[in-house]
Amino acid sequence: MGEFTVHRVRFFDHTPAAVRALAFHGGSERLALARADGAVELFNFNDNYFQEKVIPGQDGRTVEALCWVGQRLFAAGLNGEITEYDLENLKPSYTVEAYGGPVWTISANSQGSLLAAGCEDGTVKMFEILEKKIQFQRNLDRQKGRIVSLSWHPTGSLIAAGLMDMIRIFDAETGRATHRLLVDRGVGTSKSQEVVVWSVLFLSDQTIISGDSAGKVQIWDGHTGTLVRTHLVSKWDVLALAVSKEEDSVIAGTSEGTIIQFQFLSSTVAQQEKEWIRTRTFKNHSHDVRALVHTETAVVSGGMDTQLVVRPLLDKVEKNTMESSLRKIAFPHRSLVCCAKKAGLLLFQFPEHLELWRLGEGEGHGRAGDSLPVKRKPEKLIHLKRKGDDQICCSALSPCGGWMSYSTVSSVRLYRIQYDDNNISITKVSKLPKSLCSVHRLCFSPDSSKLFAASSHSSVVVVALNQSECKHLSTLKPKSGSRQPVHLLVASEDGKWLAAANTACEVHVYNLHTMKLHCTVPVFRSCPTAIGINPVTSNLVSVHADQQIFEFSLGQKEYTEWSRKLQKQGLHSLWLQRDTPVTHVTFNPRNPAHILLHDTFMFCIIDQSLPLPEAKSPLYNQMMLRSLPEAERVQHSHAFKISKNFQHLLCVSLLEDLSLVVVERPLLDIMSQLPAPVRQKKFAT
Amino acid sequence: MAPKQRGKTASSSKTADKREDHAENMGLFLESSDDEAPEELTFEESKLAALRCLKEALDSARREKEVLKEKRRRRQELFQEQKKRKLLPADVLEEIDDSTSKKQKPSEHEGEEQQQQKKKKKKQKKEEWEVGAYTKESAKTMTCLNLSFATVTSVSSHCGAHSPGFPHGDGGGYIHSLKGNYKVVTVKEPASATFQQQAAEAFIQSRLYGPGSGRTTNNELLSLQNKKGKNKSAAVQFVKKDWASKERAKAEKLKKRWLLKQQIPSG
Repeated sequence: MGEFTVHRVRFFDHTPAAVRALAFHGGSERLALARADGAVELFNFNDNYFQEKVIPGQDGRTVEALCWVGQRLFAAGLNGEITEYDLENLKPSYTVEAYGGPVWTISANSQGSLLAAGCEDGTVKMFEILEKKIQFQRNLDRQKGRIVSLSWHPTGSLIAAGLMDMIRIFDAETGRATHRLLVDRGVGTSKSQEVVVWSVLFLSDQTIISGDSAGKVQIWDGHTGTLVRTHLVSKWDVLALAVSKEEDSVIAGTSEGTIIQFQFLSSTVAQQEKEWIRTRTFKNHSHDVRALVHTETAVVSGGMDTQLVVRPLLDKVEKNTMESSLRKIAFPHRSLVCCAKKAGLLLFQFPEHLELWRLGEGEGHGRAGDSLPVKRKPEKLIHLKRKGDDQICCSALSPCGGWMSYSTVSSVRLYRIQYDDNNISITKVSKLPKSLCSVHRLCFSPDSSKLFAASSHSSVVVVALNQSECKHLSTLKPKSGSRQPVHLLVASEDGKWLAAANTACEVHVYNLHTMKLHCTVPVFRSCPTAIGINPVTSNLVSVHADQQIFEFSLGQKEYTEWSRKLQKQGLHSLWLQRDTPVTHVTFNPRNPAHILLHDTFMFCIIDQSLPLPEAKSPLYNQMMLRSLPEAERVQHSHAFKISKNFQHLLCVSLLEDLSLVVVERPLLDIMSQLPAPVRQKKFAT
Repeated sequence: MAPKQRGKTASSSKTADKREDHAENMGLFLESSDDEAPEELTFEESKLAALRCLKEALDSARREKEVLKEKRRRRQELFQEQKKRKLLPADVLEEIDDSTSKKQKPSEHEGEEQQQQKKKKKKQKKEEWEVGAYTKESAKTMTCLNLSFATVTSVSSHCGAHSPGFPHGDGGGYIHSLKGNYKVVTVKEPASATFQQQAAEAFIQSRLYGPGSGRTTNNELLSLQNKKGKNKSAAVQFVKKDWASKERAKAEKLKKRWLLKQQIPSG
């Protein structure tokens, strides 16, 4: 595996925002997730829960509710606007003011023709969904107090709204309120406080299920407007509800971080009558559960602890398979860290700002596992706040450390950084070519002479950087005509190749000498999560969301021998079972046969000169190898050398002096910055 | 009437209490030398002492009253001054009034326009008021930073630089009578939507984290996990070096104190 000096970096204070809303699109198996800072993320559940797209948020625009209408995604927030997203250009395509104060919830009918929005002023506003926009149609009867939750009856004729202290049923055609269901307040001190119906569900048999701030899940008969059953599930709030497609299971998320399942069952075997019975309790969150989705096989939840949890229901999936394992997605599936290999600098990307750090220096030599004394501490050189309201969507640092660039939805900014002994000066490059707009990915060439920017429709803009000016060189376009955004962009060390991968799973390789498309790698079914070009052999290595690894020779335009061998033999089952995608691929310039890659929980060096692991041999054999005598090691060693010494990795990179930079973000550190959890009495404490 | 009376009686009883207190104090004073042999005190001396004591008490009460009075007076003054300050733009207004009336005279022959102008004048008065307020504000801030306002519409006014022709279409031509080289800028109004948004956010915050929501801290939660887990360890703030530095410092201090306490009886 080789020995490295490791810079163990723990000063990247990346703290994801809390999960605020979830919406699942059954047809394409895509989950939309909204965070408290207004960012929206899209996960592909068919492709190993890969985070395909991220739409950056904007100051003052929070997302309170998400809603799919066909392939279109709508969001509404407390700023009183309804937004439709452009999922190809990763930005809001338009916003419509609802004119009812903050919008608490939106919900579309099953036909996809109407969108109802619940507003602060007590109105339910109906919007007609047209081809390219939405248009206000009318108000339903105005109520006193805010509309916190909404749910359509599957037929689209009725709509239930959760308010303060009550639930209202409206006739969607006439707009008249037909029923008023009064919800009890909590007992004790909370009696004086209004109860908030945080979530409401309208089932096709006219049953209404509500979850409220008094910790109750209540089942109502919608025909008569009477209470059928009350389940007191929590001392705190029931914040979210979700129902399965078959309407035989309902889940409720509480402030305690628990999720409680109710199932529609007959209480005794002989009995025909079915009722809602509390069945299971899941506890996968340490903080409040704010959003829930019930897919056919799993419970998907998110909340204040910022993690997305996919908990398969074991009666719906086969046991002991990949499908039946719990998934926690805590870190983004894209790199937020950029490492300048030559200069030993790190660029950290936050939604609000960028941080540029210089790595520290160690002293002396030690044996493996020793920690060396620090001669020079790492220091923060630049803290650059972004301009404007839009959050930063991507950033890049040139390998020499002399250029820095970031992009928001609306603009791209490029900075020149100069280092004198102890002085750092940063100057903004004022004149940028006009072609640099709506950029999804930025990358500098290894010699820092060019900036590559992935723009709309999978095109890549090449800009020449100079001391005096920046000039647009050319725009590279794929032949496929794909409209999907590029999410990976990599330039080869020799400055000849540029590879761009988009979310349609295509990888295009451009020749930078001729500025033309060189070839397109055969499209694989799974989306690439990391790509890299070997500096010596010019082979493109791509790792995909389903953990497959391919090596494609750019010279021959075909998969290499090693790649074919790997596919023939198949990857080790333990490798395939890992649940976080590989987010970075680099190479060791001294040894071209070594490929370095990492995911959240391990980093791995693949030695292409060694045999591939057999299916029955242990994959994680580093410890075992160390205990064996020198002569026997050769027999047992295989290509995958995996180290789990470092956890919660956000970046692993090899510097020019062959020292390794490891950026960690322990979950405990994130947890320490979260809002307060509920106080629960534990026995014997 | 009844509560008033009650109040009175209460106050009177309070004063009675005070007196009793004095008496008690005096008693203590006299009885302080209990276990020693009684010192000789003449009646005169003790009487003098008692009288001095009483006088001092009265004096202090009076002083307190005076201090309160002074305080009230100062507050009253402050209020008056504030009122005056609020009224300050009045002279500016008057000036404007004067100038407009002067200008109206020549335009009187225009008949129809005059009526319109009168209507407008009423409206404009309000605007001018606002403008006046802004200029005052901007004059204040001018000294430190020039561009604190978002420039939506900007009108520069130079003293006497205007032609007599009275522009009454656009809203910004009227403040030319203001002295000084001010730049008038309308501030970008914070939309009411943001207030509503803040109120809505505050609602969620108070519902989830407000009083009576039964919340604890992350530190406690993690410490509990440490305590109940398989590998027992101390509270997180002690396990993690960079956590809760204040609490750690306090704990350190308490530990030192405890050690010292332990040492004293043993040594």
